[in-house]
Amino acid sequence: MNEITFELKDVYYSYLGKFPAICGIDMQIRQGEKIAVIGANGSGKSTLLHLLDGLIFPDKGEMNAFGMALTEDFINNSSSARQFRGRVGLVFQNADIQLFCPTVKEDIVFGPLQLGIKDDEVLKRLLTISKLLNIEHLLDRVPYQLSVGEKRKVAVATVFAIDPDVLLLDEPTAGLDPLTVRIIIDLIVQANKQGKTVITSTHDLHTAGEIADTVYVFSKDKRIVRFGPTAEILSDQSFLQANNLVHIHGHIHDDGSSHAHAHLSLEKHSN
Amino acid sequence: MIRAVHIKRNFIEQSLMSAVSFLKDATLCEEHASHNGFLQSLDAKIKTISFFVFLLTAVFLKSALLIGLLYAFCLILAVMSQVPLTFFLLRTWVFIPLFSFCIAIPALFSFVTPGEPVWFFYFLGVKFIVTRPGLDGAILFVVRVATSVSLVVLLSLTTRHTQLLKVLRIFGVPQVFILTVTMSYRYLYLFAQMFENIFTAIKSRVGVVSGHPRGQKVVAWNIANMWNRAEQMNEQVYLAMLSRGYTGEPRVLTKSHPEYKDWAWLLFSLIICIMIIYLGYRR
Repeated sequence: MNEITFELKDVYYSYLGKFPAICGIDMQIRQGEKIAVIGANGSGKSTLLHLLDGLIFPDKGEMNAFGMALTEDFINNSSSARQFRGRVGLVFQNADIQLFCPTVKEDIVFGPLQLGIKDDEVLKRLLTISKLLNIEHLLDRVPYQLSVGEKRKVAVATVFAIDPDVLLLDEPTAGLDPLTVRIIIDLIVQANKQGKTVITSTHDLHTAGEIADTVYVFSKDKRIVRFGPTAEILSDQSFLQANNLVHIHGHIHDDGSSHAHAHLSLEKHSN
Repeated sequence: MIRAVHIKRNFIEQSLMSAVSFLKDATLCEEHASHNGFLQSLDAKIKTISFFVFLLTAVFLKSALLIGLLYAFCLILAVMSQVPLTFFLLRTWVFIPLFSFCIAIPALFSFVTPGEPVWFFYFLGVKFIVTRPGLDGAILFVVRVATSVSLVVLLSLTTRHTQLLKVLRIFGVPQVFILTVTMSYRYLYLFAQMFENIFTAIKSRVGVVSGHPRGQKVVAWNIANMWNRAEQMNEQVYLAMLSRGYTGEPRVLTKSHPEYKDWAWLLFSLIICIMIIYLGYRR
């Protein structure tokens, strides 16, 4: 059995102490797992990823990472913080937040440099990741001159350059063209095959099957309502509908018959 | 029949859009820095040092002719760096040197600088005499300002702004300060774009931004809104930095690698300056 990477016990978090964002979450994530966190807007998915990345800390409850308590004291200790940051990487939902350096190149090397990796190794990683994502031609560009898809690829590169054990991805494929979505999904799948734990927050149920073996579903009241194998959860349409993850729509079949019901738009079904 | 519609922009709208456009132009004007010219190929630090030496030479020289030589050299460098000469001359001559010429005008006349008369004219019954020392002094002042401005403009046109900021390290400016300034610069464009989008959204809903009292309210509300967004973004960017291991002391790839060409250029620049200073001393 793989060792436990993250363990959350009855975790609560609220913004400014009065706007609940997470209410009583229990989770156990093992090394090498491929997990998707799905839920409607504002259900607490991004907050969960920020908690797992040690950027915010629970108001109540217990959170452990790599067998140690993930607390403010733990992160305030420079040596344990450096070790943790080297093992966990987060791709933010908004690429403009992630890309704060003047050029793409500086953004990609920022993480490894802060973590004390030697310049030669940093440059080696820069070349490898930029080749892998086909962004070599963007290295000297400034982030605000990039398209949305290019920004997202660079944002992913900034985290892959750290080479963390755990990848946290906050809606990495939202609003991207199909080719860029494919590139990012392939990268996530490949990273998981190499033994990395991948936790992705997403609305895109079509890709959930590829990027996750286990799905956690968040409800509107900021709780985990269900978790289990991806196929099992995605096939329960009434459950997904109840949690605002699919919608009812009317459509006409090839034989001219029409009806209205909920299903994923690409899914085929008999009349 | 199609009627031409005259779109009248009000003062607030025009001012805001001009400010946004200026910000975008200022942040995007790195077009010349990305050309494959001579100055662009030099190491930013070495290039800045050499231009600093040129500037000092221009400031301390007392001969307009020799400063003019330096100016001619600057123009040759502009051409070698693929900076269009018309663009460069317009950019360097339009405001500051002309302004300095206006300042120098009183010095031309005998009541400020007495000396050998060169030319005179009557204005409102008063005789104005242009003197040789006055003329020489005014020409020297204008040529010096024009040369200094041209050198600075040429340096900024052929060097990326971020590289120029990094050069500040030579003068002992802390890395954290440079990082903060470069980040501010990077987000300035984002906010300018956001502001432009907000304005377009308002216009798409109400047609045109209404008159002064309502317009002022819209602008005030947007300033407050942008302030909030900037604060939120500031917190999130800080979290993004922490997430990638930032601890308050940034480490960057600062190693510049001057090549033989860069050192040769610096040596050449020094020789040119020494020669010009020597000629000035001989005169």
